[in-house]
Amino acid sequence: MYGGLVSFSGVNTVGNFLNILFNSLQTGSTYALAALAIVLIFRTSKTTNFAQGSIGTLNAYVAALVLSSWGWSIWAVAIVSMVTAFLTGVLIDTFIIRPAAKVNKIAKQIITLGLIMIITGISPYLFGVDPYQLPRFIPQGGMEILGSSLKYNTIFIVLISLFFMGAIFWFIQKTKWGLAIRVTASNEVTSKLMGVPTKTVTMMSWATAAMLGTLAAIIVAPAGSVNPNMMFNVQVSAFFAGVFGGFQTFYGPVLAAFIIAFARNTTVFYLTDIWGDVLVYMIILVFLFFKPYGIFGKPPVKKV
Amino acid sequence: MTDSNFKEKSVALWNRFAKTVKTHPHAQFFIFGLVMVMLGYFSSVGVFPSFYLSVFAYIIIYTLVALGLNLLLGFSGLISLASSSFIGVGALGTGVFLNLGLPFELAAALAIVSAAGIGALIGLLSSKISGIYLAISTLFIAEILRQIFTSVDIFGGERLDIGTVKLLGFIELSRNSRAERFYLYAIMAIVLALMMMVVYNIIKSRSGRAFMGISRSENSAAAMGISPLKYRVMAFTVATFFAAVAGVLYALYFQDAPTRQWGLLQSLTIIAIVVVGGFKSIYGMFFGAVIIHGMSELFLKDWLGNVSSVFSGILLIVVILFYPQGIAHVWIDLKKLYYKLKTRKKKDVINDES
Repeated sequence: MYGGLVSFSGVNTVGNFLNILFNSLQTGSTYALAALAIVLIFRTSKTTNFAQGSIGTLNAYVAALVLSSWGWSIWAVAIVSMVTAFLTGVLIDTFIIRPAAKVNKIAKQIITLGLIMIITGISPYLFGVDPYQLPRFIPQGGMEILGSSLKYNTIFIVLISLFFMGAIFWFIQKTKWGLAIRVTASNEVTSKLMGVPTKTVTMMSWATAAMLGTLAAIIVAPAGSVNPNMMFNVQVSAFFAGVFGGFQTFYGPVLAAFIIAFARNTTVFYLTDIWGDVLVYMIILVFLFFKPYGIFGKPPVKKV
Repeated sequence: MTDSNFKEKSVALWNRFAKTVKTHPHAQFFIFGLVMVMLGYFSSVGVFPSFYLSVFAYIIIYTLVALGLNLLLGFSGLISLASSSFIGVGALGTGVFLNLGLPFELAAALAIVSAAGIGALIGLLSSKISGIYLAISTLFIAEILRQIFTSVDIFGGERLDIGTVKLLGFIELSRNSRAERFYLYAIMAIVLALMMMVVYNIIKSRSGRAFMGISRSENSAAAMGISPLKYRVMAFTVATFFAAVAGVLYALYFQDAPTRQWGLLQSLTIIAIVVVGGFKSIYGMFFGAVIIHGMSELFLKDWLGNVSSVFSGILLIVVILFYPQGIAHVWIDLKKLYYKLKTRKKKDVINDES
């Protein structure tokens, strides 16, 4: 999906493999960012945010609009879109998710599905129908390793994604607020009784998730264009990573995201062009049948 | 025959008719089907603009799929994001089998059976996977089917041309003629009425009560001797069956099946119809389809352009937050209000007398 596969040389096997690896690291980073965001919301709000991709797309549009109308650099617009993403997350939590605290699980999921419809439908009115372009963070340059080309942009993307994910893991495990997130994830009512500001925790996780989604969208955008469906693939893959890795842990989906990206690129390159995705999905479905809560997940304990 | 005699007789006849309709829900569905056919007739003779007929046809298709999805969402508490894909299986499957030279009925039956087979497989899968994992697994299925529709050559790439259909081997109907288009529509309306009866029977049967039990608490249901696996497989099979029938009707009426339409956004529209119409309601699905599809196609399009997805998204969230029982419940609430007002009036009268 990044167009990089086309440039592979035919016979150089080590080079091909490395190319696939680098490509998978880049796509895997975007999947992992989106997957982490989905897990964050799942753990704190007890719902799957299907609108994750749409929120990212919305803010990528904002970035592209600022870039094309005021000519700011990609770094500046990335920061601007992060700020708007933060606001989007806060707004969605305040006006839609919090009032829905009492509705059942499925209804909550359906609310986020409704958000997809609203955002997809409204973006042509806000931003027009023409697709926008976003440049890469590092436009050119790269190095040659054993016949494969590694772009500086790829290195940067992988590093920044790892940095963000590492920062979030550190935050969740080591800080007081992280503890608040973990206890909210484990039992919201009890933690509320213990004086944990669960409302703020939930709001902050929506805001953080929106920012992660937006970062993923800005990374994805240069490969194609900014359009309403740009995040569809990433979002679906992120969900699959979530199921594959198990929603019970924060690290499971992140690892699964890289595995899925690698499996996809490998099957697409070595086996079949069109059916690579289908093959990977089938394998995951069969896998889920035998291990329904993912690689790292445990079945939830249910009290009757 | 005197005038009063005639009046008496007609009142008696009306009372009998009203009683029949009240006591026999199947009669209601029959009348509903007739009304739908009449609406189509009005549109085909020019009382309504002629494009209304296609909107009505679409409403019928959506109502059918929503009826099936309602068994999953409303009754069994399972969510499926692949309902649109199964309309695709119905429509494209019919097209492919017709192009192979099979008669229409056989082609439709094969398409429906293959869709229901996939549905049963998902049901089996759901024995192990539950909750959000299941929702996402149906997304896997939707993605796989989408890839198959768009990449396999027999589906014709962008769209599959079906052309004139031959029913029962000798009735040839084409959508290009106005009168024949109305006949195609009438067939759809009749099928809808029949399927509503089927859903009604399922809900009122042992299986319907089992679905309800599973949706409330699977463990308690299992403790009462209801096999969750059996009914999950059944719910998924029935839901995909309905979606596939809707797809066959699509092929029948539009006689041309696109391959890229059967995606997530349409599945979301169908979920919106179920939610807005009201879980566990049969007529609610029809009203949901009218509101979500009909309103945006017939009215909103003229003022605001193509806002259907924003409109249904907002409606979806508003209904879940503020009126979770859906449009179908408006009637019950109105009735309650009416009785409240009536009893209050009586109380006032009593107070005045005392």
